[in-house]
Amino acid sequence: MKLRHSLFTRRQFLNGLLGGWLGAFAVSFLYPVLKFIFPPTREPDEVILPFADFQDMEPNTVKNFAWGNKPGILKRNNDGSYTAFVGVCTHLDCNVTYLPDQRKFYCACHEGWYDENGIHMAGPPPRPLRRLNLSIEGENLIIKREGVE
Amino acid sequence: MKEKKVKKDIRSWLDERSGLSVVFHFLREKKIPQHKHSLWYYTGSAILLFFGIQVITGFMLVFYYNPTLEEANSSVARIMTEIPLGWIIRSVHSWSASFMIAFVFIHLLSIWITKAYRKPRELTWMSGVFLLVLSLLFGFTGYLLPWDDLSLSATKVGTDIPRSIPVVGAWVTQFLRGGEDVTGDTLTRFFGFHVCILPIFLFALLAVHVYLVQKQGMSLPLDLESKEEKVNELPFWPNFVYREMIVWLVLIGVLFTVSIFFPASLEKAADLMAPAPEGIKPEWYFLFLFQMLKIFPSKILFMNGDTLVVLLILLGGIAFFFLPLIDNKPTERKGKIITVIAYLFIIYAVGMSVWSLL
Ligand code: FES
Repeated sequence: MKLRHSLFTRRQFLNGLLGGWLGAFAVSFLYPVLKFIFPPTREPDEVILPFADFQDMEPNTVKNFAWGNKPGILKRNNDGSYTAFVGVCTHLDCNVTYLPDQRKFYCACHEGWYDENGIHMAGPPPRPLRRLNLSIEGENLIIKREGVE
Repeated sequence: MKEKKVKKDIRSWLDERSGLSVVFHFLREKKIPQHKHSLWYYTGSAILLFFGIQVITGFMLVFYYNPTLEEANSSVARIMTEIPLGWIIRSVHSWSASFMIAFVFIHLLSIWITKAYRKPRELTWMSGVFLLVLSLLFGFTGYLLPWDDLSLSATKVGTDIPRSIPVVGAWVTQFLRGGEDVTGDTLTRFFGFHVCILPIFLFALLAVHVYLVQKQGMSLPLDLESKEEKVNELPFWPNFVYREMIVWLVLIGVLFTVSIFFPASLEKAADLMAPAPEGIKPEWYFLFLFQMLKIFPSKILFMNGDTLVVLLILLGGIAFFFLPLIDNKPTERKGKIITVIAYLFIIYAVGMSVWSLL
């Protein structure tokens, strides 16, 4: 079938062409800008620490280590085992501290409390402290993100 | 006589090319109404005064300040101990910021309560709300720059708050921080916001705001507007300007007195790995928010407490922005209720802030 009139006027066609070109231009401009302003920062998959530094810890004490840009907390439990936490409050990201005499983690920002296993118990924190997987291999203490093999 | 002619020639030469005489003519004709609420008319120029002081002291501080992890704290320490009169400059910058924000609040509340935002001044109000947000962002980014213990924790909390905004939250946090965590990149980025990005936006919006104020003239209180008889008026130039200058002089005096007798302090340099120090507090204008975050329980109806706080603030902000459109019948019942809400809001904000200090 032959149409008697074109479905587009010349103006509509040209406007569409120009608009499409502008849109494509905007996207191709924005994409690199967005890429640039969000830097790729991932937290580490694992950190390796010399076990010797942590061997002599008393039970119910903690030592900090660097977990990427955040503090990690290695805690020696009463039975001599170790637990590793990300030492950052699950409320709004402040660094927490361990109070050995109360056997609690404490966040000073909005008075958040966690028990010695990192379970939130009072104040605003909505979740337990994040735990990290821990293994001892020879001289080294290997700390991994949960879920990383 | 010759001198006079040269002056006139120069003026007409300039005017032919710039058309500025229109502006001067406008200012010469401008009138400021006089009535029992006229005092509020001075708050706008007080904000401008403190903003001007911020610009000048900011220029000075930036000559010595170093926005890096290693140098930030020590460069501020250097400004305060080694650079001649540096401690006053920094103290004035810090105090003037507080004064400016205080006057922004007063300005805005007075407009809310006298309903000066009613038609045709809705856009003036809306541009003003943007200016408020920018001022708060100035304060928030500036607070981090000395990079001490308190400012680090405040920034960690502050930049984590947007994370609970649905959909875009995590992006906003990453954008503000320059990554997942607060690091040296955050400091550099905040510096960029504080001295480059925010000023550009602020100047642009300020121009719009001031233009709109001139275009619409001063608003009259509701009860005067309906009256028949003419309200007393004061010429803007020179009478009102002289009065403003008196206010400015007093304010400058107060500002410098406070800055000298209660100089801005500097804590020890922040450590990204150290636990948050006891007694962290944001700047006073964020205290009510801080207290809300503290008292909201961790879980309310399927939501985290902080998510609810953020959503409330967001909704409040949007309502606030559209206030002139919501409050469109100022003399009727609805308008009265909204005025009562304004007073309740003030009581709430002050109450929460005081509570946070106990
Ligand atoms: S950040 Fe830890 S309680 Fe709020």
